[in-house]
Amino acid sequence: MVERLSFYLERSSPLHRLNPTTKLVVAFTLILVAFLGPGLLLPSLIFLLILTPLSFVGQVGREFLRTTVRLLLPLFAFLFVMQSLFYPGGKTVLFGFWIFSVKLEGVRFAFLTATRVLVMVSSFLLLLFTTHPGVLLLDLTQRGLPASVAYILASTLQIIPQMQAKAATILDAQRSRGLDTSGSLGRRIRALLPLVGPLVFGSLVDVEERAIAIEARGFRSSRPKTSLVEIEDRPLERALRWLCLLAIILALGSRLWP
Amino acid sequence: MAVIEIQNLTYTYPATSHPALREVSLTVEAGEFVAIIGPNGAGKSTLCYTLAGFIPHFFKGELQGEVRVAGQDIRRVRLEDWVLKVGLVFQNPFNQISGAKFTVYEEIAFGLENIGVPREEMKRRVEEVMALTGIEDLADRSPYALSGGQQQRVALASILVMQPEVLVLDEPTSQLDPIGTREVFQVIRRLAHQGVTIIMAEHKVEWIAEYADRVIALAEGRVIGTGTPADVLTDPRLPDYGIGISRYTAVARRAAGEGLWPAERRLPVTLDEAEAGFRAVEEAHAHLH
Amino acid sequence: MKLIDSIKKDFNTMTLVLIPVAIAINVVIGQIVVLLRLPVYLDSIGTVLVGAICGPWAGALTGTLSNIIWGLLIDPNAFPWFPVALFIGFVSGWCARFGLFRTWWGVIITGFLVAITAAVVSTPIAVYLYGGITASGSSFITAFLLQTGRDLVTAVLSTNFLVEPVDKIATALLAYAIIRGLSRRYLMRFPRAENVLPAESKK
Repeated sequence: MVERLSFYLERSSPLHRLNPTTKLVVAFTLILVAFLGPGLLLPSLIFLLILTPLSFVGQVGREFLRTTVRLLLPLFAFLFVMQSLFYPGGKTVLFGFWIFSVKLEGVRFAFLTATRVLVMVSSFLLLLFTTHPGVLLLDLTQRGLPASVAYILASTLQIIPQMQAKAATILDAQRSRGLDTSGSLGRRIRALLPLVGPLVFGSLVDVEERAIAIEARGFRSSRPKTSLVEIEDRPLERALRWLCLLAIILALGSRLWP
Repeated sequence: MAVIEIQNLTYTYPATSHPALREVSLTVEAGEFVAIIGPNGAGKSTLCYTLAGFIPHFFKGELQGEVRVAGQDIRRVRLEDWVLKVGLVFQNPFNQISGAKFTVYEEIAFGLENIGVPREEMKRRVEEVMALTGIEDLADRSPYALSGGQQQRVALASILVMQPEVLVLDEPTSQLDPIGTREVFQVIRRLAHQGVTIIMAEHKVEWIAEYADRVIALAEGRVIGTGTPADVLTDPRLPDYGIGISRYTAVARRAAGEGLWPAERRLPVTLDEAEAGFRAVEEAHAHLH
Repeated sequence: MKLIDSIKKDFNTMTLVLIPVAIAINVVIGQIVVLLRLPVYLDSIGTVLVGAICGPWAGALTGTLSNIIWGLLIDPNAFPWFPVALFIGFVSGWCARFGLFRTWWGVIITGFLVAITAAVVSTPIAVYLYGGITASGSSFITAFLLQTGRDLVTAVLSTNFLVEPVDKIATALLAYAIIRGLSRRYLMRFPRAENVLPAESKK
């Protein structure tokens, strides 16, 4: 299990310095264009010509490519095998073996789906690699995200590593007492319960005190909140975000009036 | 001037049948340092939650009698306003970290953001309390990556920064190691010297003997003694209620049994008083021979 | 206005502090299940729990944010599936409101209803984003159904109907076991505790 806050990597790159909302808008735009735009090659071009170069500008290129491959390779392998064999509209047989036949339409469909998912996952990854989650939440709060939602997300990100550490401790303790976590399915199911109990109840008892602690610090105050940090937003970035909107409209138009 | 007045307070938590506090009355004056002692389950935490407004506003339940802060009735004041007057720090340092912030500096500012303090003032106040609690060097650390003592000082700073009129501390060192305990007590001592109004539930009677202006002893939800540390802490009934006494008192009581403590002298609660008492005995003996 | 007020009441501070813990339970148990190679997900126990004791809206928020956290932390593939998680929390909240969380058989019905909802909501996402084939083993069933001449939507929907109930009934039962393990005094701090407390102690 991974014990970290998010995918964020601390670097000083122009991409890291961009306003988080700008990066979020760009990510959404690339995804929407990949899914709505025309042509078989558009998503792969977005990945090769925009996302990959950008990841190197952000000084996270290697981690970006490695994580993208790790997260998507199994899906893609599966996708290509299944779709090229079982795609419902497949007519053009490329080659056949035993009772199976690989069809061109299936391969095309698998390629398009795979590259679209690639753009979706890697756009988010690039955003996450170059943006501290706290800064993203702060910026979104200043743009109207409810403070309670920001609180939930921030504290979840900090609770998870602790609960993972606790889970690892309990798992080790149970294993040393002879708990079988490999074995047959029945054994593995029986291994789950002694793990879950201490983990869940241990974290639930803290809820009351934690609620008191944040109320003691004015969390429920009805006064307008202020912010310690101000996140920079430049006019150029605002213009870029409008451009993104334009790109989305164009992609949508190409879908509606081909 | 009385900051907090409690009269005939009886309080029962929801879904329980026995009151946690029974007919409690007490007054806290501005600038006073009041200590609350009592065995586990005596109602110390309940009293702290009441002073801090969480009873009845957060816990609900049944409250009889009167609780007033700065003359206002607790039932008429919203919790969000009450917490600005009375700050609360409790035992578990870990649970007092908000989770909303990623650095200690931001963590301390969290309360000020919530109540809408302007940015420049916020920074000034955060830096002031960080100096007061001795945690300047932790500013950029994650509040979760700290020792218990450091976390508790962050919790203390996070409340102090809101500038409450009264500070309520519920056994603030009971879950800390000796180093953490010393660090936290150093800060509390500094606050007491500055004249901050402090109410502290605490087991460490030697510490109370030295710093508290007044002691309130609780047992089974009732006030069983109130007065100066010297009066309350030497009350012979304390051990019967399961309340620990100062080791100086214990030694002197043993000595008194053997006739080795001046009969007219009150039992000591601090090292200095014990020393003075035993010197007097020594001189008296020297006189005899 | 009445609806908004009742929703606001569901989001008291206890709820707001419970939700992060519930999401962490989703994520960490979800990961343990992967580690133990169990044929279920069990990644919505916390969502069902919040739905039951804090109401459908809080359950829906827990589900949604759970997927966002999973995406932020582990795999961005989780983001587009958030509507499924949203409805899991929402439906379990309504089931609890209709008293289905007071008995174990009611909880099994809840698990089943949640499964049906999840199956329906996830189908368009699987079909549109992934062409019906995802990385899970259940895609073999989808492929088989496609081979036997079903269209894509039918194939995916049927697969989901086959796979979801086991996972969601187990999830609901585990959430129920957690609730039964919590004290009455603790549960009463949450806005919809009356939905899960046994009828005789309602008063």
